[in-house]
Order: sequence, then structure tokens, then C-alpha cells
Amino acid sequence: MKPLLITSALLYVASIRRPIFVAALGCSLAYLASRGMGLGRLPLIGPQDTLAFFSGSLGLMGLPFIYSRQTRGIRWFCWGCGALAGLFAALALPFPTINMPLPPILDTYWFELHVALAFFAYGLFGIAALLGVAFLQGGGKPALDLQYRAALVGYSFFSLSMVSGGIWGYYAWGTYWLWTAKELWTSILWIFYSLYLHLRLKGQAWERGFAWLGIVGFLVTLFTYLGVSMLMRSSHSF
Amino acid sequence: MLKAIYSRLTSLNLGLWLMTGVMVTLALGSFSSASSEQGGLNDMPLLFWLQRAPLGYSWWLWLCVACIVVLFVNALVCSIDALRRKGRSVAPHLMHAGFLLIVLAHLLSAYGGFKQQMQLPQGDSFGFPDGERVVVEKITGQVGPMGMMSGYRAELRLSDGLHAVQPNQPLFHKGYGIYVKDVALSPVPVALFEVHKEPGALTAFIGALIFTVGNLMLLAQRKGR
Repeated sequence: MKPLLITSALLYVASIRRPIFVAALGCSLAYLASRGMGLGRLPLIGPQDTLAFFSGSLGLMGLPFIYSRQTRGIRWFCWGCGALAGLFAALALPFPTINMPLPPILDTYWFELHVALAFFAYGLFGIAALLGVAFLQGGGKPALDLQYRAALVGYSFFSLSMVSGGIWGYYAWGTYWLWTAKELWTSILWIFYSLYLHLRLKGQAWERGFAWLGIVGFLVTLFTYLGVSMLMRSSHSF
Repeated sequence: MLKAIYSRLTSLNLGLWLMTGVMVTLALGSFSSASSEQGGLNDMPLLFWLQRAPLGYSWWLWLCVACIVVLFVNALVCSIDALRRKGRSVAPHLMHAGFLLIVLAHLLSAYGGFKQQMQLPQGDSFGFPDGERVVVEKITGQVGPMGMMSGYRAELRLSDGLHAVQPNQPLFHKGYGIYVKDVALSPVPVALFEVHKEPGALTAFIGALIFTVGNLMLLAQRKGR
């Protein structure tokens, strides 16, 4: 199965044309499907599976944006999405796969929904960051409008992820909220994008700030996903 | 004077600064040992913990709570102010209402929450505050191919009959949730139980539903724009 992941990483990095990006996404989804069928569940445990899932989410969420009329003028955008997805597919490669059955506490649809929605949101925040770069490089108002849309849909996925996580937590742990580093950073990320969406109300004078915030948001996303797992002790760590 | 305070409270800038304040205090707190799993913050209701923890340990949480209190008022006043004007979309204000309910839910849990952990062998019992006994009738588990527990359950006898608890399927009784957290089968079957009371859970769920409805309405309104 790993050759599929390697192929997807290579194709993503080479995706200067949209069909190559689609082929990379196909390999990425085929890899995740084969892992899922082998495990009998969504592959969401351990760094290998989550990085591959993140890469697939970036590709899947990026697809409507690379086919959008508003990004046709941004020549590097398709490659940018591919490079980002390819980077995380490549990062997944050195890690071993974890093929154990889900621990009983994780064996619920609420957990799978919680994690999958979070990765869809992370993917959209990544696309929003690229669109912020496109705006700052002269991509014009359409790039900023698309960035807003990507972030808004990402925020919606992320909010639903938090709700499903709260329901899972209540049935699994006895509480919908725990004071751990991961929950704190999840809240920080949610508030960050709440702030981002509110900042739009300040109008055109803040357009550059808005674009920058979309870029910084993805850094907060990466810290929430990877930084907390690697640097802090939490029940959410890999 | 009152008009000036009202105007300040409805200010978008105030909301943005408060959100920044909440983020900064939570970020600082995430590096504090108070938020580690050994920090004790998850073992008792938040308000109890805040009263007992030294200020040098809990200062970030006090600041965060202060920001959230003012943010609560800011979101409430903003929504009331906007809804008084005609032609405004109700979607963002449903999201505000959901947020406000979730904050209230945290306050309820921070004041009236309860958590107790106990390790009990098969045949032992524990009591509810009103004197009712809960007897651990049977503890079972299945060991998976890698030697880890792949499933476990405990059967509990209460005044109204026999009930099973297993991971993700707690037993709710008299406002408390009884959770089985772990099981060891030898030398004698023993289970780790937790009894929780989360008075804010329903309010948080209603808040989350209202927030989600508002969010979906906002997405529908922004579609195609």
C-alpha cells in the first residue's frame, strides 16, 4: 500500500497541471481507502495515518478551489496546493503504520467524525493560507474572497468537530471538556478563526491584515495538530 | 455615561481585543503545569480549583475567565443591538446565542460538577449520596490479539435492576454518569469506575445545536457571494 502514498506525494509535488493534481488525489484516496478496508475503520491513529489523512484532506478540500474560475489567474496555485499536500504525504512516509484495533474508548463513530472533520477543517485552513499568499502577491480581491470562503467552511467543519468531540468526550470520559494542552489549543484555533471572521466586518482597510491572518491561522493549525502532539503531554497525543 | 459604556460594550474592537486576550491567556496556560494531566484541574470543578490553587499557578486562568466574562457581555449586547435594527441576518446572532449558552454551560459545570474515581473488585459496592448502593455484580473483558483489552464491561445492580456499563456507554442515574474506565481480569476481576456529574452538559448541547443552525444559515447566505 505504501507505494500508493509515495506515488501520491510525488504526483502532488509535480502537480503543475490540474489533471496531475487529480491523479495525486486519486492515489491518496486509494491509499486511505485501502488502509481503511484493511483496518475496518478510518485510518486515524498514529502519525503515519493522520499525516496521510491530512494530506488527503488538503487535496480533497483544495479540489474545488483549483477548479474555481477565480484562481485561474494564479499560475502557481494548483502546484501550491499539491506541494502542501505532498509535503504532508512525504512526512507520513518515515513513520510506521499502526495496525492495532481501536482501543475500546476510541471505538465510536463520534471519535471518527470528530477527527475526520478536524482534518477537513485543517485542510481548508491550509488552502485559505495559500489564497492569502496569492492576495498578497497581487491576486486581487477574488483571492481574498475565496480565502474567506475556505476559512468559513473550515471554521464550520471545525466547529462541528468540536461539537462531536464534546459528545464523544461526554460518553467516553464523563465530561465534554478537559483542561489539557490539546483542548486549550483547539479552543485557541477556534477563537482565532472567530476573530478572523469578525475582522472582515472592519472593511477594506484591513484587507492585508485579513490575508495575513489567514496565513498565521494555518501556523496555529499546525501547532495545534503537530506541535501539541510532539511538545506537550496530552490525551490527544499520537 | 451609560450611553458611552453601552457604546464601548457593543464595540467590535473590544470583541477583537478580548478574543486576543482569551487566546493569549490560554496559550500561556497550555505551557503551565496546571493544565497538565497531573495539574488537578480536571479532578474538581473549576471554581473549586480556582479558590484553592495558588495565584502563581492559576493567574492565567483568572485572566482568561475575566476576558470571557467581558466577551460574554460584548457578544450579548452586540446581538441585542443588531437585532433591534431591521433587515439584519439572524444567523450570526444564533451563533452568538450558541456561544453564550456554551459559556453558561461551562459556568454550571464549573460550579456544580462532580467527579470521583474508585477501583472496585467484582462483588463490591459504592453508595450514592442518598444512601442507595450500587453493587458491581460482574466484570468481564476480552483480550485482543496484541494482548490489549479489546472490550470490557461491568454489570451494576441498582434499586431498579441490573445495568451494563462499557466504554462509550455509561449509565446515567439520578443526574450522575457512571463510567467504567479500565478493567483487570486477574488475579480477581477489578474495574476502575468514575462517577461524574456534569450539570452543564445539556445546556452545552443546546448551545452547540443553536450555534450549528446559525452556522449553516450563514453558510447558505454566503453561498455564491
